[in-house]
Amino acid sequence: MRRMIYLAVFILLIQAVHAINSSDEDTVTFKDFTLNIGDRIDIGDYQAELIEIQSVKDGLAVMQVSKVGSPLEDQRAFLLDSANNIDGGAEDGGITITVTDIFDDQSVKVRVEYKEDLGTARKHTSERPRVIADRPNLVVGKSFDKNQMSVGDEVKVTVTVKNIGTGQALNIGTEDLPPLPEFSYIAGYPPKIKDTLDPGGADSAVYVMSAVKEGSIRVPAIQVSYTDSKKNAKSNSSEPFNILINPESKPDLVIKLDPSGPIAAGGKGMLNVSLSNTGKASATRVKIEAQIKPPDGLEAIGLEKSLFEIPPEQEVNYSAELLGKKAGNYTVSLKASFQGGDAAMIQEGKVEVVVQEQEYKYLYLLPILPIIVIIAWMYRRYREYKY
Amino acid sequence: MLNVLMLGVGQCGNRILDAINKEALGGGGASSLTKYCLRPKFPSRVETLAVNTAINDLKELRFTTAKDRLHVPNLHGVGANRNVGKQAFMDNRDMIMGEIEKRGDFDLAFVITSTSGGTGSSFSPLLINELKRQYRNITVITIAVLPFREEGSIYLQNAAFSMRELMDVEAEGIILADNQYLKRFSGDIASAYDKINSMIAQRLLFLIESLDSEMLSVTDLGDFKTVMNGGLRIGTMGFYQADRKNPSVRDAIENSLKPVNLLYPANVTDDSARAMIIIQGSREYLDVDEITKEVERLSASAGHVFKGIVVKKGHPKVLSVFTMASAPELEAIYAQAARAMQDEKEKRLRARKQMDDAFAHIEDLEEIY
Repeated sequence: MRRMIYLAVFILLIQAVHAINSSDEDTVTFKDFTLNIGDRIDIGDYQAELIEIQSVKDGLAVMQVSKVGSPLEDQRAFLLDSANNIDGGAEDGGITITVTDIFDDQSVKVRVEYKEDLGTARKHTSERPRVIADRPNLVVGKSFDKNQMSVGDEVKVTVTVKNIGTGQALNIGTEDLPPLPEFSYIAGYPPKIKDTLDPGGADSAVYVMSAVKEGSIRVPAIQVSYTDSKKNAKSNSSEPFNILINPESKPDLVIKLDPSGPIAAGGKGMLNVSLSNTGKASATRVKIEAQIKPPDGLEAIGLEKSLFEIPPEQEVNYSAELLGKKAGNYTVSLKASFQGGDAAMIQEGKVEVVVQEQEYKYLYLLPILPIIVIIAWMYRRYREYKY
Repeated sequence: MLNVLMLGVGQCGNRILDAINKEALGGGGASSLTKYCLRPKFPSRVETLAVNTAINDLKELRFTTAKDRLHVPNLHGVGANRNVGKQAFMDNRDMIMGEIEKRGDFDLAFVITSTSGGTGSSFSPLLINELKRQYRNITVITIAVLPFREEGSIYLQNAAFSMRELMDVEAEGIILADNQYLKRFSGDIASAYDKINSMIAQRLLFLIESLDSEMLSVTDLGDFKTVMNGGLRIGTMGFYQADRKNPSVRDAIENSLKPVNLLYPANVTDDSARAMIIIQGSREYLDVDEITKEVERLSASAGHVFKGIVVKKGHPKVLSVFTMASAPELEAIYAQAARAMQDEKEKRLRARKQMDDAFAHIEDLEEIY
């Protein structure tokens, strides 16, 4: 009896294993392939060859599917991410093909689903030379010549279009956004790009704007549209970017007057003048006028000047000669009038100059020398009379 | 320009020379400090030399430079002994004359001395002889000062013998100053000496200046020499300076001849042999007619009178120099000196006799020990 039980269990086990093996043969599996035009996938008797990429944009690829020993030979367009069942699909013993990605007009990624009993899907690479497709690819860029500017500054905007594709780009057109409220367009707008660009060709256009309002601005992208030789319409855009418009820049002249020290009456001294532009804009047509109070007793030579320009963050230094004529305290005032943008500006500086009474070197000897002479004379006379 | 040598011999001569140097420094106001600041201003080239055997006398001088003080080494003076003095001079003659020779050549020399002292009275006659021997054309005038009569018998004796020797030498003349006569100007002796010295100094410098000036009416060294050779070859000087109250030149001349303004008591009208009147002053005061009349009046009584007029700003100043035909005061001095010498001699004899009488007590006795 026990033997019968063991035999029955053994038989049940064998049946179970057989049942398991039978279910494995019906399992659907899949495999992804990257195909170039001409490449083929073989699975069982099925063959699927990538014929062309009809539209990258629309996600259409054309593949030819056939079955050896069968009249099946079908060339159809595959829509991206849309499963296409051949012979009822993988569930029914056929195959299911899905274009999962279209890389470009030459290559796609394809997923093939099939039952395992069909064998292993293999890729057969085409030995035909690859035909370079006629595919233009325009890259567009927009740039400002400076990221930061001030109100009133002019900025050059450069639009560059370059064909990095393999085909001629036709009917090129750019679409830049209308003038921003932060800028006023001065010249060159809208940018004009050639209608056609050969592969490797590039074109650029420049237009000039003037910043009119301060703030942080996000400059929108520029879009370029074109068609290829097959009149497929294509387009591309630049990346938007940020710029900063600072408040209007002005020159700011700082006048420093540094006299060499007190001047002796009848003597000379120096007055060092430093004009530094601490503003953000150039000071132009700088005219320096001097005034000395009281006017008599001190004369300045070379104090008044005219300068064409003092650029920002730069300074101009020069020295004037002072002639002290009469002792006293004098105020030397310097007035610098200049143009800062459209406005006329004035900056003033002043310094005290002291003219001292004429100092005679070794003056102290004057009273001493006669005393010494007198003492020497008297001593000599004393010696003459000493007996 | 006259080259003048002024020799002050002996204490008196030294002090008068010092007064001359002081006068050259500005006169009465000159102080010790002044001499260190100023140079003596003489009217001509004047060299001064103070000669003395007593170094202390030389040290007392205040306005004479050290190089113009010559010490003749003879201990500390000659003690009023003219014989010692003469020997000292002879012993140091070359040195003395060498010092004078260093000062160059001279036209006129004044030997200023006291007649009564030791060094001056003994040196001066010998010195004058040496000067006349060494400088052929020199005119030597002795300024001889007579002593106070009460100074003592030795001084009177020295004065008497010294005057005689001075008369014997070849000097052109002697100008006398009498301390006894002049002491009336001051109460004490020291002040009297200073006053007398100053008066003599002032007159001598005025004389030198005048002789060396361009005159309106000329008198020169030759005239002066002629005057000094007149009479006894002994003379004296008078001086007067007019003032604003009475600037009359005529009165000034008269006053200069009055005894009160003379260095020696004399009566010009009666005693003078020759005279020289030198008048200095601003032109407005110098009325030539008046001067001439006054000089003529003087000539009528005093013999020949030379007159010199120097135009110089100021009230009239008059210097009168005259030699005397007689000197009665000198005779009086000699008489006094003789008496003094006789008294001295008698005193000495009496003392000798007294000592001899004293010694007689121990005659024929021996010392016993």
